[in-house]
Amino acid sequence: MTELATRIKDVIDEEPVVLFMKGTPQFAMCGNSSRALEALRAQGAPVTAVDIMRDPSIRQELQELSGWPTIPQVFVKGELVGGADITQELAESGELKQLLEEKLGPGYADGAEERTVDVMSS
Amino acid sequence: MELVTYDLEQLLRDAFPEAEEVRVTDRTGGGDHFLVEVTSARFDGLSLLEQHKLVNEALAAPFAAGTIHEMRIKTKGTA
Repeated sequence: MTELATRIKDVIDEEPVVLFMKGTPQFAMCGNSSRALEALRAQGAPVTAVDIMRDPSIRQELQELSGWPTIPQVFVKGELVGGADITQELAESGELKQLLEEKLGPGYADGAEERTVDVMSS
Repeated sequence: MELVTYDLEQLLRDAFPEAEEVRVTDRTGGGDHFLVEVTSARFDGLSLLEQHKLVNEALAAPFAAGTIHEMRIKTKGTA
């Protein structure tokens, strides 16, 4: 595994909720990334965002790791939840909240913060 | 543009011959942003992630070719 792939995997495994997106939460560069972000925000999820536009290799490595062809990608506790459509659908049906409570505990939203990590630097 | 929509529908029908409904809509009229809707008994009991995976696989070729720039997926089981 490349160093970058290891760093991406570490973020996925260590952060409770990870959103790989185009742009940052402050400035999303794509409607689908925004949709996934808003769905997570609506549940008060502690979102750790990774901007895949930082470098084209991030997207390649991520795609290989997850087997998912498109951006955004949402992970909870190391597991791929899906892209924007799935995340939005699960949010609307209440299943996303359930999933977050199951995986992270019912108090997951307490003190939840939004942050961006840079996988290009270790 | 119409052709692309038709081609994508054909790929989906080949992949899901049992589907009750297959519909591809060109969302922007530009021939590269699509809404894909599939209703099939094959989705029964599968998670949304698994359902979308099947659709992604069926359209892997036009995706790789860049024909599809962006795609929204709506899947439904029949149960």
